[in-house]
Amino acid sequence: MKNISAALLPIFAVLLTSACREEGITRARVPKTETEAARPAAPGEVTMPGAMDAGSEAPSERPRGLSWTLPSGWKEVPGTGMRLATFLPPGGLKTEGTVVALHGDSGGELANVNRWRGQIGLPPTDEAQIASSRTPLTTKVGPVAVYDFTSTGTARTRLIVAVVKTGDTTWFFKLMGDAAATESARGGFLAIIKRLSPDAAQ
Amino acid sequence: MRRNDPLSRLIDGLSSLKLTLLCLALLMALVVACTLAQVELGIHLAVERFIRSFIVWWTPEGSALRLPIFPGGGLVGAVLLLNLIFAQLRRLELSWRKGGLWIMHTGLALLFIGEFATALMQVESNMAIEEGQTKNSSEDYRRMEVAVVDETDPEFNDELAVPDTLLKSRAEIADASLPFKLRVRAYHDNAALSLRGPGDAPSPVTSGVGVRMSFQPLPPVSADGDRNTAVAVVEPVLKDGSSLGVFLLSNGLGAPQGFISEGRKWRLALRLRLYRHPFSLTLKDFRHDVYPGTDIPKNFSSLVRLKDPRAGDDRDVLIYMNSPLRHGGLTFYQASFGKNDTLSVLQVVRNPAWTLPYLSCLLVALGLMWHFGLMLRKSLGEASP
Repeated sequence: MKNISAALLPIFAVLLTSACREEGITRARVPKTETEAARPAAPGEVTMPGAMDAGSEAPSERPRGLSWTLPSGWKEVPGTGMRLATFLPPGGLKTEGTVVALHGDSGGELANVNRWRGQIGLPPTDEAQIASSRTPLTTKVGPVAVYDFTSTGTARTRLIVAVVKTGDTTWFFKLMGDAAATESARGGFLAIIKRLSPDAAQ
Repeated sequence: MRRNDPLSRLIDGLSSLKLTLLCLALLMALVVACTLAQVELGIHLAVERFIRSFIVWWTPEGSALRLPIFPGGGLVGAVLLLNLIFAQLRRLELSWRKGGLWIMHTGLALLFIGEFATALMQVESNMAIEEGQTKNSSEDYRRMEVAVVDETDPEFNDELAVPDTLLKSRAEIADASLPFKLRVRAYHDNAALSLRGPGDAPSPVTSGVGVRMSFQPLPPVSADGDRNTAVAVVEPVLKDGSSLGVFLLSNGLGAPQGFISEGRKWRLALRLRLYRHPFSLTLKDFRHDVYPGTDIPKNFSSLVRLKDPRAGDDRDVLIYMNSPLRHGGLTFYQASFGKNDTLSVLQVVRNPAWTLPYLSCLLVALGLMWHFGLMLRKSLGEASP
């Protein structure tokens, strides 16, 4: 009997230790070039029209309707994915501007405002409170609504979005980054919005 | 003199040949049932339910009951293993004459243990790689994970991946590397996603593209080629209890979702479980050869460049049918292809017990040779005058 127990012991030990294997959280530091963001959408994946920061794939074809002029010192980088262009303010500030144009109203004002608020960790708002966060601007291309939100906490993030409509297209100009840097770049960003003009190609 | 106490009777039973025959008959029945079930369940789930389980359960349609209806392959295999060991210890004397049988039986026992170890430890995934592309990770076929990615660093992303098993079993996920807890509001293995309609009930989702989506949980699918659309509703919550939004994550949503908190940019995603490897493969060439004048496949092969800085490896390897690449505890098999023969899909298998079946076969062959060699010598000795 002793022999049998001795023979069985290692077998049960193997089975028990194998069964006790538990899966846990894994951590990895991955170079940006290897990240999943560069992965093409899998078959059947739904790509959402509201994904303003989507993808780092081929640059989008720029829709007609608007052209812009950058203030001195600002740089424009060609966009990728749904992003048409990226604006970089002078002085290496930790903030950047982006341009996205979408067909239709892209879900409406409330949905968009709450999505932007969500991006910087702010709770959703409602129709009644939207008016207080909206500043109207008059430009050569028509009325522009500007929204300005700053996150809470010690390292705060600020997001300024200007929404312009041309025909069936809604243009979203967004400046987002470190709150202090965004404040420094705000004047230049609003200058871009004020100088928007109808696309010469139209 | 034979003892008749319960322990002795148990040992007699466990070492009986009748038990061996019963187990073999049960295994045959399980193989037939599993083969038939593959039509509906797919290979993986059928094998899990019939072969790699201790009990085969049946759920009557429209009921939540689970009824045990048959011993599973795990139970039958375990009994057969015990039967083999007890029979060997009870019946075979420890002598040179029976040495071949001892080795052979040890080989058989190792085969059973190897299958248990494989069932418990094997991890399978896929590496889909295009010509010219370099990859150092593979994706699970079925298992999902929520990735919480800190994208603040301009050079690197810090990823934390929470497997679906934890998402199902825990209400909150906390980790020292995260400044927030991830509250799991819901997790479904499969669901139908759709754009929200005017009549839909209010959604708990407050942030990301999921605000405009609704979902209907569905039973998971498992047939080969079927794909589950998993859904997780998660809420990052800061230590002071303030919410950073409720997000609907799904592998069916291609759009990235995330938020910025305390100056750090976070991205959330529900994706197929990703296994990262400390080496990379670059697909140099994929070949899909056919017999001349026909579409009948003759050969599938992937020529890859293996680079492993830690092992000092930098070499070309040709992977083709029955000639996998084994490296770093992984085996890469040629599994599939696509994109007009410019994409190769490699099956990546981590099985720490992969050597056991080979060792087992070697022992059985050695045991047979030993035993029949002895028999042959004996019969030749008897035949000689």
